[in-house]
Amino acid sequence: MQTTVDRLDRPSAYYLGRNKKRKYGRDRDDDDIGRQRTPEEPEDPLKDAATLYVGNLSFYTTEEQIHELFAKCGEVKRLVMGLDRFHKTPCGFCFVEYYNHQDALDCMKYIGGTKLDERIIRTDLDPGFQEGRQYGRGKSGGQVRDEYRDEYDPGRGGYGRAIADERQKEEDEYGKGR
Amino acid sequence: MADYDRRNGGARGGYNNNRKRRYRDDDELDRRPQRRRYEEPLHLKVRKQLLGVAESPLKRTDEEISSIAKLVVDNNDDEEIRRQYIDLSLQIVVEQPFKIPFVAAIIIVVNPQKPEVGQEMLTKAAKAIQEYLEAGDWREVKLVLRFLACLQGLLEEDGVFPLLEELFSRAVDLQTASSEDSLGLELVKIILLTIPYVMASSAIGFEERALALLDKTDIIASTPHALEALVNPYPGNDEGDSEEPQSTINLLQKQLQAEAAQSWQLACIPRPWNVTKEDDTTDASKKHALPEIDVPSPVAPGPRPMLPEIYFSVYADQDVETVPSTSDVASSILRDSLVDTINILDYNRNATAKFLIDLDCYFSAETFVKRATQFDKLRNVEEGRSTWKPEDVAVDAVFSQLLQLPMAEHKLVYYHSVLTEACKIAPAAIAPSLGRAIRWLYKNVDGMDLELVYRFMDWFSHHLSNFGFTWKWTEWVDDVQLPLVHPKKAFMMGALEKEIRLSFAARIRGTLPEPYQPLISEAKEKDTPDFKYNSDQTLYSEPAQEVLRRLRAKAPDTDLQTPFSTIEEIAGSLGVTDPLVPSTDAYVTAICFLGSKSLSHVLSQIERCKDRLLSIGAQSELARRQIITSVMDYWHEKPGIGVNVVDKLLNYTILTPISVVLWALNDQLGKGEGLVLSHVFEMVSSTVTKVTNRVRQIVVARNQPGLPGDQVTILDETLSKEREEMGKLFAVIENSLVGVAGGSVDDMAESTDQDLKGEAVLRGWGGRWLRVFRRKMAVEESWVQEMMSPTVQGIDASGMEMGVEQNGSGEAVLSEAGEELKEDDALDEIL
Repeated sequence: MQTTVDRLDRPSAYYLGRNKKRKYGRDRDDDDIGRQRTPEEPEDPLKDAATLYVGNLSFYTTEEQIHELFAKCGEVKRLVMGLDRFHKTPCGFCFVEYYNHQDALDCMKYIGGTKLDERIIRTDLDPGFQEGRQYGRGKSGGQVRDEYRDEYDPGRGGYGRAIADERQKEEDEYGKGR
Repeated sequence: MADYDRRNGGARGGYNNNRKRRYRDDDELDRRPQRRRYEEPLHLKVRKQLLGVAESPLKRTDEEISSIAKLVVDNNDDEEIRRQYIDLSLQIVVEQPFKIPFVAAIIIVVNPQKPEVGQEMLTKAAKAIQEYLEAGDWREVKLVLRFLACLQGLLEEDGVFPLLEELFSRAVDLQTASSEDSLGLELVKIILLTIPYVMASSAIGFEERALALLDKTDIIASTPHALEALVNPYPGNDEGDSEEPQSTINLLQKQLQAEAAQSWQLACIPRPWNVTKEDDTTDASKKHALPEIDVPSPVAPGPRPMLPEIYFSVYADQDVETVPSTSDVASSILRDSLVDTINILDYNRNATAKFLIDLDCYFSAETFVKRATQFDKLRNVEEGRSTWKPEDVAVDAVFSQLLQLPMAEHKLVYYHSVLTEACKIAPAAIAPSLGRAIRWLYKNVDGMDLELVYRFMDWFSHHLSNFGFTWKWTEWVDDVQLPLVHPKKAFMMGALEKEIRLSFAARIRGTLPEPYQPLISEAKEKDTPDFKYNSDQTLYSEPAQEVLRRLRAKAPDTDLQTPFSTIEEIAGSLGVTDPLVPSTDAYVTAICFLGSKSLSHVLSQIERCKDRLLSIGAQSELARRQIITSVMDYWHEKPGIGVNVVDKLLNYTILTPISVVLWALNDQLGKGEGLVLSHVFEMVSSTVTKVTNRVRQIVVARNQPGLPGDQVTILDETLSKEREEMGKLFAVIENSLVGVAGGSVDDMAESTDQDLKGEAVLRGWGGRWLRVFRRKMAVEESWVQEMMSPTVQGIDASGMEMGVEQNGSGEAVLSEAGEELKEDDALDEIL
C-alpha cells in the first residue's frame, strides 16, 4: 500500500525513465508511468538490488572516504570507482555494493542527498555493476554531465570539458590574431 | 475557476475556445500553458486536505477540520469519498501519530450528522487493532487505541476502558509468570499512554475509572525492572557519581498520578474537538458501542525490542527549563509521540525533520515558546508561561533514540540524517539546540556508557562533515592538555580521527584553533606511508625489499620462498622464537605498501596472496597475530584504514575473531592504554558483531517456515557450534577486561612508578569496556533463546531480522518467559 509520506528508497525518475524507453520504445503512450505491473512483465530488476550508483562525487574523493560513509548502512562488499575512460582517474561517480538489499535501501533513505567530502551526493538503486560501466560515457572520457557544464566546479575539473575546450580555442585564436 | 478564466482569458478568445487538449498538437501557434480544465475529483480533494490537516501554522485547524467534515458529510453517498476518507484516516493514525487528535476531531464533527460514517470508522478501526493485536504490532496497537481514546465521546458506556482492563489482565498474567517479563510492561505502558487521551477527549466523567486503573497499574509500573542497570546510559565512573536511571514506565505512572491530583489538566494535548463542539455530540442516540475486540491470550510477543526503556534527556540540568521536567506528564506524552513519528517515518527523513520542526502545530497552543526563541531570552518569559523550546524537545527525542541502549530501532545513521535535515530546514532554530546538546554530552562523557560515547563521537563527526566541519573548538581548549587516557581527551582524539576519515588531515587541521594543531601530525597527511624496510636500519631490510620486488613483479608464490627463508634463517640465528613472525611482517608490510593506493588495491593484493596468508595462520597463531600488527603498524597514522583491512582479512578467514580480540586486548593492551583508542574499540566491536550476526543469520535461516527437517538439523548443529564460538569469544574478552578493571594485569602490578590516579583511570576504562561487552553477550544470548523458544517459532521474523542488519548489534527481543540465567549472572557481576 502506498504510504501517506513518500518513500526515499525508490529508484529515481532517471532510472525509471531510461528503463521505460528501453522496454517500450517510443510508440507507447506516456500515461502509463505509475501503472501497476502486469504479471507477464519481467520481474523488477531492482527487487533484490544491493548495488547503488553514487553520483556527484568530487574527483578527489577517495575510496576510503566513500567506504567510511557508506559502511554506516552496512558492510560494503565491493566498491567500484567511476573512472575517466582515457585517463583512468576518478571522474566523480562510483558503485557501492552491499551484501544485503535492505542495506542498499537504507542507504537511499539515510545517505543519498547528504554530504560526502562537502558535496551533496546522489544515490540511485542499480541492478548491479557490470564490467565497462565503471567508465565515463562522455565524449572526452568523463561523465556526460561534465562535458557541457557551464558553471565552474572545482571538485569536478572546473568547467565542463567541451566548454573549457571552446574557451581555450577562443583564447588561442585571439592570441594568434594579435 | 474564476482565477483560471481571468489569467488565461486574453489569450484564449476566438477559435481556441473549448478546444480539446488532444487537438493541440495540430496547432503550432498555441503556446498556452497547458492547464487541465477539470476540477480536482472530490475524493482527491478530501485526500489532500486530510493529509495536510494541522500541518500548517498559517491555517486555522478548526476550519480545516470543519471543511473536511463538510466534504465528507455532503458527499456521504459517494462510495469512493467515504472509503478514501476512512481508510486514509486510519492510515494516518499509524503513520503520522501527531495527527491522531485532529483526525479524531473530524469524525467527531461528522458523526452527529452522519452517524453511519462514525460507525463505519469505528468498525474499521476495531478491525485494524484486532489485526495488530494478533501480530503483536504493539506500536500500532497503541496508536489505534489512542485514536479510539480520542473518540471516547462517541462511544457508549465505558468506551475503551473495558479494552484497557482486558490488556491489563494480560499484563498481570505475564508478570505473574515471570519476574523478568517485559512484554507485560509494554502493555502497561500502552495503557498508561492511552489514559491521558481518554481524559482529554470530549467525554466527561471518567475520572474514577481512570484512577482505579492507575491504582492497578501502579504495582507493575513502579517495580524496578531487573535489567534496568544493564541499559543505564550513565552508569557513572568509579568516583560514584552515577545517576539513578529512570524507567519511562515508572515515570509515566508517577506523572499520571500527579496529573490525576490536578484534575487531569493534560495541558499539552490539543483538543481540536472542543472548538467545533457546539451541537449534540453527547446525544446518546448518536453514540456507538465499541466493536468487539478480542485480545489474544496469551498475547503475541511481537518483533520489538523489549528491554526496559530509560528516560534520556540531554537538556536535563539547565537553569531554565527548555524541555518538560520528568515530573511533568508532558515529558512522556511529547516524547512518546515524537519517538513514534521518528521511528515510523524512517523511510523519509525529510518528512521526519519537517514534523520535528513543526512540532508546535500538533500540541496545544500554550505548550511551547515561539520557535527559535534564543535560550537567553527564555529568562524574560513571564512567570507561569511555558519556557519549553519546541526544537529542544524535538532534538532531545532524536538523541533519546540515537543513544538508546542496547540498540536503536533503526540504523544509527538514520538519526544522524534526521538531525542533518532538521538543521538544514531550520538552522537558526536547530543549530543552537544541537550546540547545547553537544556541550552537555561532552561534559558528561566521563560517566557515559562507552558504547554511547562512540555513538556520540560517530554522530558528532558525521554531523560536522555535513556542515563544513565547523565547531567552536575553542570552548574545549583547556582539555587539549589532558592526558590521552582522560575520557574527554580520548573523545576529542577519536572525533578528530573520524573527521579525518570522512575528509582529509589538512582540511580538518584547518578547522582547528592553534592549540589543537599538534593533535594532527604531519605524518597523517602522507598518502602512502613508507615501506619501513627501505631503511637499512630496519632488521631484515634486504630480504624484505626482495619480497616487495617479487610481489610487485607478480612473481609466482614459490619465488617468494627464498627471501622468506633468508629472513627466517636470520631470525633463527637471532634467537627469535617463531621465525615465521618476522617473515610474515615483511610479507604483510609489503602487501600493505603495494596496496596503499586504495582499498581496492589492497584487496586485489590480498586476493593474490590469499593462499600463503591463509597458511600462515594455520602454522602459527603468533604469526597470525603478526599479520594484524603489521597492518596496524603500516597504517599507524591512519588506523581507520588498518581497521578496514583487518575486517577484510577476517572475511577471508585469514584472521579469526579470537585472534583479533587477543591482539587488541592482550598483545596491545599494555596496562590498559590500548582501551583508550577509539579504533581498538571499533575493531573489537565490529569483530564481535560479525560473530553475533552470523549466529543470528543462522537462527533466522533455521526458523524459516517450511524448512525441511534434515536442514533444520544441519543448521542446529552449525548453530550450536557457532554459539560455542561466540561464547568463547566473549569469554576471552571478559578475561582480558576483568584484568584491567580489577587492576591485576601483570604490568600494572609490577609498575614501580605508582601513579595511582593513572591506574584508577585505566581501571575505569576496563570497567567501561566490560559493561559494553557483557551487555552485548546478555543481549545476544537472550535473543537466541527467545528465537529458539517454541512460542516464537513460525512467527514473522522480519522484525527480528532487522537486528541482524544493524550496524553495531542486532535488535534485542527478550523473551517474556524465558530462563535468562545468563543475564542474571552478567547483571550480578556488573552491579
